[in-house]
Amino acid sequence: MPAFAVPPEHADLRATVRRFLVECSPEAEVRRLMETGTGHDPAVWKRMAGELGLQGLIVPTQYGGAGAGRVELGIVLEEAGRALLCAPLFGTVALAATLLLESDDTEARARYLPGIAAGDTVATVAVSAADPARRPPGSGVAAAATAEGWRLTGEEPYVLDGAAADLLLVPARTPAGLSLFAVDGRLAQRHPLQTVDRTRRQARVTFADTPGELLGRDGTAGPVLARTLDLAAVALASEQAGAAAFALERTVAYAKERVQFGRPIGGFQAIKHMLADLLLESESAISAARWAAAAADEGAPDLPALASLVRAYCSDAFVRIAADSIQIHGGIGFTWDQAAHLYLRRARTSAQLLGDPAFHRERYLQRSGAVA
Amino acid sequence: MSEPAAGASAGRVREEVAAWLAAEWDPGTMRAGRPRTQFVAKVVEAGWAAPRWPRRWFGRDLSDDEGHVVEEEFRRLGAPGSGQDRHNLYAATVLTFGSDALKEKFVGPMLRGEVPMCLLYSEPGAGSDLAAVRTRAVRDGDEWVVDGQKVWTSSARTAEYGMLVCRTDWSVPKHRGITFFLFPMRQPGVEVRPLHQITGESEFNEVFLTGARVPDEHRLGELGGGWRVLQTALAYERSVMGDRARAGRADSGMAEVGDELVRLAAETGRLGDPVIRQDLARVAALRKVNEWNALRAKAEVEQGSSSSVMSLGKLAMSRILHESARVRTALAGPRSMVEGPEEPIGDESTFLALNAYFTSIGGGTDQIQRNIIAERILGLPKEYEVDRDVPFSEVRNSG
Repeated sequence: MPAFAVPPEHADLRATVRRFLVECSPEAEVRRLMETGTGHDPAVWKRMAGELGLQGLIVPTQYGGAGAGRVELGIVLEEAGRALLCAPLFGTVALAATLLLESDDTEARARYLPGIAAGDTVATVAVSAADPARRPPGSGVAAAATAEGWRLTGEEPYVLDGAAADLLLVPARTPAGLSLFAVDGRLAQRHPLQTVDRTRRQARVTFADTPGELLGRDGTAGPVLARTLDLAAVALASEQAGAAAFALERTVAYAKERVQFGRPIGGFQAIKHMLADLLLESESAISAARWAAAAADEGAPDLPALASLVRAYCSDAFVRIAADSIQIHGGIGFTWDQAAHLYLRRARTSAQLLGDPAFHRERYLQRSGAVA
Repeated sequence: MSEPAAGASAGRVREEVAAWLAAEWDPGTMRAGRPRTQFVAKVVEAGWAAPRWPRRWFGRDLSDDEGHVVEEEFRRLGAPGSGQDRHNLYAATVLTFGSDALKEKFVGPMLRGEVPMCLLYSEPGAGSDLAAVRTRAVRDGDEWVVDGQKVWTSSARTAEYGMLVCRTDWSVPKHRGITFFLFPMRQPGVEVRPLHQITGESEFNEVFLTGARVPDEHRLGELGGGWRVLQTALAYERSVMGDRARAGRADSGMAEVGDELVRLAAETGRLGDPVIRQDLARVAALRKVNEWNALRAKAEVEQGSSSSVMSLGKLAMSRILHESARVRTALAGPRSMVEGPEEPIGDESTFLALNAYFTSIGGGTDQIQRNIIAERILGLPKEYEVDRDVPFSEVRNSG
């Protein structure tokens, strides 16, 4: 399959997910869920699993999933981004399910993946979702072997979908090195954060002698986690690109209908030129995210460099589009009731997740081999 | 009798063109010079140069798909001469708009590459607003007398003919008073002066036309119908540029993206500078996404949908060039104040910073490009034209 070709089944997947989200995640519903404690609708979560199989999309068929790849996940996340879907999809699929698939612990896979695919288990990886430069994964939590089993102690300040998760996959240090543990969400202390982006929740998660099950072999989590975070970076880029594209579409639509000085503001070059530049950003972000997803499926050896390059680009593109969208909307864009700020909140927050653009640019240089 | 399926006919065409090439094309001896010229003449004679055109005019009446098959076979062997029905803007424009006599005289030689050509479009007062041309043609019996000035003409010195856009009627709005000619360059009324660019180079010329003459027989299209002819000619030109852009391939390895900027950063001892490092990665990303956009556009076109990504390419390229030059200047530092062979790093930084305008102005400025993107892709309202329904003689101009 040549790069960027879209087979009919991918077009169908996109159309199906878009239809579903137009029905289940319209702006009114997004705004309702923003005000709720958990931030998502369990009934919709069940339908996502039962009718569309979204949670099980990348889960192998033997565990009740569809066995699809990163390209398909990218399609779903582009659509989820467009709709600002309020659901713990990123933590459960892009982080937790991905980590389980990357680990060699077949027992853990068999134990957890069917629940994830069925929509019964909300899961996440308890990595601090921000500032990996100063807070590398696993640096906040230590695990010790006791007579009763492993016990975890420490804190991760920004855990995506941390409060909703039934299952926490926790990177932690042991004397042997970086290791992974499965922790029952109810056993950790979880402090929901007042996130700027109310459509995506985070929690501070604290472990105090909290029991956990070792995942994989003790001290071998480094490569598994690194690969998981690269794949998650690509997945997040897809979500950002999808959200950016929609933020632009709704802004273009507004520029056509808003009339000042006797004509639509989209007829003024000041606005036209901003929108043309934003289209270049938006299309570039989509190309970048889709290229990276395809590279992940093909097992491209340069994925680590690629993932960082693409993440940096998509983060900046989404922030710029969402920010200019407010400017183009003018006064109404400064009001809470216009949805433009919801996209800016998502954009600014997403840009921090799993490393900000400057972090990823530096890491791209190191990983590309161009600059040591 | 039923029509053969398209696939079957394409297969027959492929066999036929492959057999012809097997008999006629020898890559060992025909890559350049006289043997190449002779080969292209044979391609034209056989109808492979413009296979979608009618048999009467050097073609084979093939469908567009079959035409692509012919081009593919030529490309596969690296043989020249095919695909001119899409690319040879001179021959195509003459074929579409010329009289039979003019076609007889020019289409064959043009396809064989025997007629050096140039474009006489832009003027000092007609840049972005090309329809505002003021070069004047006045009828004199069977001829037209032409006075005016053209600019940004490459190859003017060697050209035998030029595609000339000029005004024949000043009493109607600007788009309606333009006429298009195939204009003979080698005559006394034509003076070519080299134009000096801000980089110090001279790739273009000014062409001064003073009482120059062109026979009415060389008119392309209707009197006053030149704007339509120009649109067709420009479409052919864009198709050539589009093909070139689509031919760009994304490289698989990431190591080389650091490329010459990284080497320069190393050479100037700035690789440890975190600001420079961010810039290097930023430029690498701009280049990469542009390659991916081109590949995506290609895939979308191949899948039969029109692609909006392609039209963004020129805007993207101008940003890449200006941004690369900016980083290069930061790396050169004070050296960028000095030019010449003794200071190659400084010299190059200035050259690239200045030459970036070649792309952000030439072939439609970034600002015109943004208008086009906004209007044609995003569907925003068209720019208001104050001169739209005004006789051209009453339209305001800079001079």
